[in-house]
Amino acid sequence: MIVTGSDLRRTYGTGEAAVHALDGVDVNIQQGRFIAVMGPSGSGKSTLMHVLAGLDRPTSGTVAIDGTEVTRLDDKALTELRRDKVGFIFQAFNLLPILTAEENILLPLSLAGRSPDREWVDRLIDTVDLRDRLTHRPSELSGGQQQRVAVARALASRPAVIFADEPTGNLDSSSSREVLELLRKAVDEFGQTVVMVTHDHDAAKIADEIIEMADGKIVNGHGPAA
Amino acid sequence: MTRVVLRGLLARRLRLGLTAFAVALGVTLVAGTYVFTDTINASFDTIFTKAYEKTDVVVSPGDAVNGQDDNRAPMPASVLDQVRSTGGITNAEGGIFDFGATVLTPKGKKIGQGGIVASRRDNQRYELFDVAEGKLPSTAGQVAIDKATADRKHLKVGDQVLIAAQTPKQAFRIVGIIRIQGVDSLGGSPVAMLTLPEAQRITGKVGKLDEIDATVRKGTDPQTVKRELTAKLGPSVHVRTGKEEAASQSKDIRDNLGFLQTALLAFAGISLFVGAFIIFNTFSITVAQRAREFGLLRTLGASRAQVLRSVLGEGLFLGFAGAVIGIALGIGLAAGLRALFKAIGFELPSNGTVIASRTIIVSIVVGVVVTMLATLAPAIRATRVPPVAALREGFVASTGRRSRLAFPASIVMLLGGLVLMALGLFGTGSSNRDLTLVGVGAGLMFLGTALVSPRLVPPIAGLIGAPMRGITGRLARENAMRQPGRTAATAAALMVGVALVAFASIFAASARKTIHDYVSNGSHAQFIVQNTDGFSSFSPLAAKRVAQVPGVTKVSPIRFFQGEVGKNKVGMTSVDPATFPDLYRGGGTGQLRTLQPGSAYVSKGYRDDHHPGAVVRVKTATGQTVPLRVAGTYNDKGHLLSDVTIANTQAATDFAAGKDNYVFVAGTGGKATQNAIKATLKSDFPQTEALTNQEFIDDQAGQIDQVLALIYALLALAIIVSLFGIVNTLVLSITERTRELGMLRAIGTSRRQVRKMIRYEAIITAMLGGILGAVLGVVLALLVSQPLDDFKLAIPFGSLIALLILSAVAGVFAAVLPARRASKLDVLEALAYE
Repeated sequence: MIVTGSDLRRTYGTGEAAVHALDGVDVNIQQGRFIAVMGPSGSGKSTLMHVLAGLDRPTSGTVAIDGTEVTRLDDKALTELRRDKVGFIFQAFNLLPILTAEENILLPLSLAGRSPDREWVDRLIDTVDLRDRLTHRPSELSGGQQQRVAVARALASRPAVIFADEPTGNLDSSSSREVLELLRKAVDEFGQTVVMVTHDHDAAKIADEIIEMADGKIVNGHGPAA
Repeated sequence: MTRVVLRGLLARRLRLGLTAFAVALGVTLVAGTYVFTDTINASFDTIFTKAYEKTDVVVSPGDAVNGQDDNRAPMPASVLDQVRSTGGITNAEGGIFDFGATVLTPKGKKIGQGGIVASRRDNQRYELFDVAEGKLPSTAGQVAIDKATADRKHLKVGDQVLIAAQTPKQAFRIVGIIRIQGVDSLGGSPVAMLTLPEAQRITGKVGKLDEIDATVRKGTDPQTVKRELTAKLGPSVHVRTGKEEAASQSKDIRDNLGFLQTALLAFAGISLFVGAFIIFNTFSITVAQRAREFGLLRTLGASRAQVLRSVLGEGLFLGFAGAVIGIALGIGLAAGLRALFKAIGFELPSNGTVIASRTIIVSIVVGVVVTMLATLAPAIRATRVPPVAALREGFVASTGRRSRLAFPASIVMLLGGLVLMALGLFGTGSSNRDLTLVGVGAGLMFLGTALVSPRLVPPIAGLIGAPMRGITGRLARENAMRQPGRTAATAAALMVGVALVAFASIFAASARKTIHDYVSNGSHAQFIVQNTDGFSSFSPLAAKRVAQVPGVTKVSPIRFFQGEVGKNKVGMTSVDPATFPDLYRGGGTGQLRTLQPGSAYVSKGYRDDHHPGAVVRVKTATGQTVPLRVAGTYNDKGHLLSDVTIANTQAATDFAAGKDNYVFVAGTGGKATQNAIKATLKSDFPQTEALTNQEFIDDQAGQIDQVLALIYALLALAIIVSLFGIVNTLVLSITERTRELGMLRAIGTSRRQVRKMIRYEAIITAMLGGILGAVLGVVLALLVSQPLDDFKLAIPFGSLIALLILSAVAGVFAAVLPARRASKLDVLEALAYE
């Protein structure tokens, strides 16, 4: 199991006003799988992703990524874990406008102070088909191109798992398809693990498994160890 | 709309605080200056009013030219007889009030700055002082000293003090401790009260008087007597009623403090100028960030005028709040200034803090007007936000896009500033008008540079940021260049302070070099005797004593004083024709050997009509006009000699310049001879010292450094204000980049890296201001030194580099708070931030 979450609870507020965004969730994600997390807004799907990715701490329960117990790490260790073992793709692309496409792709490696594995990076660039856009800044790229840069960025450090939060939410249908196919390719060709939160049923179809959530619980799909 | 303004302000407390503070510090100096000077003036008013309460008529030296050390020459005692023989006068008495003494502890330690010798009055009604303890001196050898000095040096009745003036050092027994109309000290100088004959003797004023006080017969109008005396005594003296004399002395104090007040207000103006930059920048940024909010207001039906009013309303509130804070701080500053002056030996009297309504009004008007002016351009930009901005996500009003007029405008400002400065520097108008022209010109040059500087941001930021390694360095560089206008305006605020510091340090270095050159090139003396304060005159007996020291072969006293030709003041020097050419060699100083009473040499270039053979009529400190025949010209590269040089003998008789300012000494025997001279001076004239040429240079340089330190301290305020600006801009930029920071943290940027990135950005901004400031400072110094003949411009590269390093350090400090805020951002909230 590359990512496991046991008995995860996340509560916002206290007493009467308490909201249980996660109400006892168990997940186990195998390496090399493409998982889609679905559910209506407020179902807890985003919270689950944040907790699994180490962006948010569960109120109780434990998360482990690639054998490291995330819930025990301090901020520094957590930062390093996110840098080395987790890749992120956001709905709003979140590229740095001041850097070129290539610099954005290499950003996680630069932050770690590692020199990039040129062969891998070249392969990535060809995969996302951005070779002729490398020196462009995000403002000069289309939405689909920006998201492809973001995908390459997430893959650059060959993380244990990639979390994608509504990656097609801001894209038209053809760009959406491109990005989804890229993610599929990452799983099939590079053996990546991808966890994608989405409310788009078409998008979810591309996944190997679908976890459906409602009211902070998993209602269908991948529950305790399959 | 008012509610919208207030809500908006409350929502941005940190920015509000920082921005208000940018105004407040400038206002602090304005309010502090007024409170400080008003308090002193009021105290002196009280002292003088009380002092002359019972005096009907006062006779004092006339408005002739000031003599040595800016003192007026005393009147002959015969004037007292003339006063006494005037009808209507029942009683008259003369007194001595001399500023040229040095008071020392029994162990020979100099007390305070300067020293006043006053004579005891026979008639109590004329007495300025009152007894706090003991009694007033009644025989030679007795002295009363002021309470502040007694307290400071733990001197009691029965102890001794030493006094050195025109006569050698001499011991007096303290018989009383005195106060000045209830105040302990008169500006910090020690006061020694002696009997009249003793006071006259040791100040070299035997047969002379500094002041005559008289009482008129009961029922006679002092004005009538005054008119009679004026007619009788002629224009060489002033006759005033007691009230008028009090007012006149108050006015003298006011005029003297007026310079200080103007200087402090000028520095306040600099701080406010810098503050205006920051307010302008802050509002520009926030208006851009709030484009959607303005769009929404417009969509909901707000007119452009209402949007304008809402932004200006913020400015008004901010200016007012800043002014109020500034006034409160200013009152504290005034107390601080008094304490500071006391600490350095100028204890100024205070009968309670004076907060005039003028102080409050000026402070508030200045604070509000400066803020509103700085807010105007951003406010107008806010009105241009279209209603549709509310609906468009990420709409940013144009701040980055610079007007096409900016570049031509900056050139016009730079040229205009240059022209104004040139007019001021080479102008022949009144010195006040010229100074204003230079000031306004410099201000325009600052604005012009600020306006053109966004173009300079990318290359300079790239250069400064080059050594900043890694991705954090790269991000910091890019962030600094992202909004060149914003970075430039932030840096410009610092630029102003740095430019003035650079300017001051260049001038100080140049003055040091000028002194160094004239001493090392001109002086052929082995030693130079001077007052320990470095500039005041001292008894001519000192030179006579030094001449008798074994090993001394030649002494040559030099004096500086003033004269008046036509309506213009002229700086004068007198020398000993027999010895001076041997001990000092400037261009053409050899001819001075032929000087004799009635002849003069003039500086080359001093008024074209003063060619050899011409007669110059000079008005002197004693009130007479003396004809001097021009014997020739000199071109003293060392700038020791003023415009007109005469012989010492004539200076003493006609110009009341009987004291020496410097004595050049030639001798053999080196250190041993110097020590022998020192010993002689210490025992007789401890207010003087003998220095080698190098020691003299160092001592004079030390005086320059003191002035420089004071200027630095005042400029520090403007620099602190500009650092607030850096903090403010960074905080605002961070808010703007919240999502980016969230993403950076999410993909693995550590807190340390975030802090480093912000710190680097602050260093780039600060050093940009430092570099622009240093360059501008050099340019200004080059300009201002143009009209100064033979001024040896020296550029202290070491100081300038230190200044750049200090700018970088300042950047590090400014980054502390913003960096912490940025590194503490909650990643999830930041990612969700709009």
